[in-house]
Amino acid sequence: MKNKYIFGGVIAVVFLGMMIYLFTKSNIQYESDFAKVMSSERTIKATGTWVKEKNYEVNKSERTFVFYMKDAAGHEMKVIYSGTIPNNFESAQSIVVTGLYKNGNFHAKDILTKCPSKYQDKQNAAANS
Amino acid sequence: MAGSILITLALAFSIFSMVMYFFTYRGAKNTLNIARMSYHAMAMFVIVASAFLMYLIITHQYQYEYVYSYSNDDLPFGFLLSTFWAGQQGSFMLWLLVTALIGVFLQSYTGKRDDLEPRVMMFFTLATTFLLAMVSPLLKNPFAYIWAEPMFLETAKINASYLTQPFLQNFMFSDPASGQNFVKMSRDLYATLQGAGISVNQFIIHGKGLNPLLQNFWMQIHPPILFTGFAMTTVPFSFAMAALLKNDYKDWVRQSFPWILAGSGILGLGIMLGGYWAYGVLGWGGYWAWDPVENASLVPWLISLACIHTMIVQRKTQAKGGIGKFVKTNLLLSILAYIMVLYSTFLTRSGVLGDASVHSFVDPGTIVYLFLIIFVGTFLLLGVGMIIYRWKYLESQIVEEENLLARELALFTATVTLGASALIVAVGTSAPIFKQSVETRFYNEMHVPLAIIIGLLNGFSFLLKWRHSSGEDILKKSKFSLIATGVFALLIILFGKVYDVMMILLSISAAFAFFVNAEIAYKIFTGNKKMLGAYIAHIGFSLFLLGVVGSAAYSKQFEVDLTKGKPVNVLGYTLEFTGYNPIENNTKYEFNVSVKDGNGEARVIKPIMFVSTFNNSLMREPDILEGFTKDFYVTPLSYEDGSSVENKPLGNSVTLMPNEKTSIEGADLTYSDFIKPDMSVMMGGGNFQMGAKLTVTKNGKTEIIEALMKKEEQGVTFVPVELKDADLRVELTKIDPTTKKAEFIIGKLSTPVVTTKPAEVLAVNASTKPFISLVWIGVAIAVIGFFVSTLRRLKESWS
Repeated sequence: MKNKYIFGGVIAVVFLGMMIYLFTKSNIQYESDFAKVMSSERTIKATGTWVKEKNYEVNKSERTFVFYMKDAAGHEMKVIYSGTIPNNFESAQSIVVTGLYKNGNFHAKDILTKCPSKYQDKQNAAANS
Repeated sequence: MAGSILITLALAFSIFSMVMYFFTYRGAKNTLNIARMSYHAMAMFVIVASAFLMYLIITHQYQYEYVYSYSNDDLPFGFLLSTFWAGQQGSFMLWLLVTALIGVFLQSYTGKRDDLEPRVMMFFTLATTFLLAMVSPLLKNPFAYIWAEPMFLETAKINASYLTQPFLQNFMFSDPASGQNFVKMSRDLYATLQGAGISVNQFIIHGKGLNPLLQNFWMQIHPPILFTGFAMTTVPFSFAMAALLKNDYKDWVRQSFPWILAGSGILGLGIMLGGYWAYGVLGWGGYWAWDPVENASLVPWLISLACIHTMIVQRKTQAKGGIGKFVKTNLLLSILAYIMVLYSTFLTRSGVLGDASVHSFVDPGTIVYLFLIIFVGTFLLLGVGMIIYRWKYLESQIVEEENLLARELALFTATVTLGASALIVAVGTSAPIFKQSVETRFYNEMHVPLAIIIGLLNGFSFLLKWRHSSGEDILKKSKFSLIATGVFALLIILFGKVYDVMMILLSISAAFAFFVNAEIAYKIFTGNKKMLGAYIAHIGFSLFLLGVVGSAAYSKQFEVDLTKGKPVNVLGYTLEFTGYNPIENNTKYEFNVSVKDGNGEARVIKPIMFVSTFNNSLMREPDILEGFTKDFYVTPLSYEDGSSVENKPLGNSVTLMPNEKTSIEGADLTYSDFIKPDMSVMMGGGNFQMGAKLTVTKNGKTEIIEALMKKEEQGVTFVPVELKDADLRVELTKIDPTTKKAEFIIGKLSTPVVTTKPAEVLAVNASTKPFISLVWIGVAIAVIGFFVSTLRRLKESWS
């Protein structure tokens, strides 16, 4: 009876330990302040918006997709994404890039474009002035 | 108006039915029939309301906000069906509809079994009450009029003949950024239109349309099946609560069993169809991305599966009298499965996941947010509260008897393992609430060992007898499976070139499970066929695991440019782009790629690209060459039509490090110095320049030049340097500020810069997915197994 609980307890502790370890190792924080993104040395999920005025560039030979993002405070950074332009890019309300800021550029390995218009009409709220 | 009235009436009947069932439970004599009739009235109103919503969608009644937001008049009937559940309001409506229908069957089922009906139905009607409140006019009502909340409509959606009307000018707005004009729809405009004798339906003549990603067959069947699966979890929850209420735990497992089995089968099918949609439509090459919305449906499913395994033990151990083993576990898991459905709804609908998911719905507003918390909280408090309340009694009923080599323990271990899997997924998915998130490797790495354990248990537990088995007996029974698994392991290592230890272990455990189950299934196939369910389900699951190993761990992918008419070898296939043709009234383009496999058999696949008018985005649809042993998957990336003219400097490419020398075109070049950029400006993203200082010597004359890269607002430019005396043209093409390595194009100035016309080029991402067919086949077989088991347990559910 006692042994059963000790045995089960050990397994549970090992399992939870593994989970916590992997969680902290694979954990990525969200950051919407680009000043912090630029000073961090960790992989980060930076959230912001696309700077439309600066356009974007698809580099065929390097297979990169380059654009500028800014945060709410207006900090801008150049994002270099290894891959092609995501499907909903132009109409994205906000963008989440996962990667690392290095040598003056944000090197993204993943882009998530958020299109709230899919479910609720908010894009038109911009017209409300 | 009619729709809102129907919902309000249904809500009233739902509450009334719940109260009447409660009185019946408390012993009132004449209330049972009233409760039943109220339930049926509620279900009727829900059905009529749903039919009415469908009617509004089909007839394009754009005065309803929901119809305007998710449909358009050019959609064919099939996609108008999808509009029903394309938005939040409609998907709640769908959930409500299937729940109400399930309740009709549940009422009849419980009505025939002892005193079950009032106890079960009072909890079930509590669930329908909450869902009805969700779609009521106060919260996410699909029948809300478009003018209820101010909304900006594109002028293209408005009947053009009214646009010039003077009264409309007060309601026109323009967006300076995009230059688009909008009409602000509001109560004021509605009143104005009424005054002018114009109906809103005449005024708004087009809808916003349906997201192109939802316009396919899979999105017509995935949501209804998934929501049926969600709705089915309400039933085991209600049974568990009913048992706790009566403090009688003998019959509920038997009675709840067919429902949890059918529900898990349906939910599993729904989840798989979602995966198939992601694979066939989204074009990223996989079927499972651990996206929060996917995870949200997985957690309740895993908990239901876990629950099924210990429910079997409780059933079996009841034979000796008493309530059986693992009663608390079963009660807790039955309750938890439904609570996780509600929690998932909270995660995906409340906006808390905000940045974490592509699917995520936008913030629905504070009231809905609070309502969702109350919804989850109520059921959590009720469920956990009841278990705590009965805890002492349940503790006193524990049956003590343990044997390591018994099927009971193996099944309990299965429950624990499945529960652990559910916990991992739930923890990872909840992380964004705390502004954290995990990479997908968190899920993958945690699940590899779990999957190995699950595979081994899957085979091993069927070799064990109930209560006690001898080691000798197990060895005898597993002879065939062990040998077959050994042969299989050799085959995948020798011919499949699978060398990763974890993948070998996973394949072996899955294969072992497959052979054990297949052997038993074969033996009993001639006997009592209705006992086959469990074996079929587990065969399906083991095939699924093998499919996952093949397609996830041994997928290869390659990005390649296909020039029209020029065959290219990729991953053992020969691809040739043969041109494109417009389809669907010139709204989309099919890119024809002829694919020849190793045997020389040629087939044409047609990935599609188009710019969607719905969201002004480039949409890419993959095409797949499906086969049993592997799929060949091609996603289009981009297309260049060859009409653009490109200037290309003529010359040779040269790469130099600082102080390196080279000779070219009769000149000696030295990369004498690196021209440093202003680092602080560069870091700040401002304008800067950098480059290389070169010493060029030709015919005894030396010149020092600067080849520069300039970064300006418009982008990066390279300034070519021309040396007239030396007849040289030097252009920097690339420079790395850390290593200072520079690349140049150097050519004779007297040779002109040529203009080349590139050919038509289609860039694609091609990949192979070994044995992905087993993923679909496995799940399909497993689902069949669930239904066979359901039939068996349905017969046993009679006392």
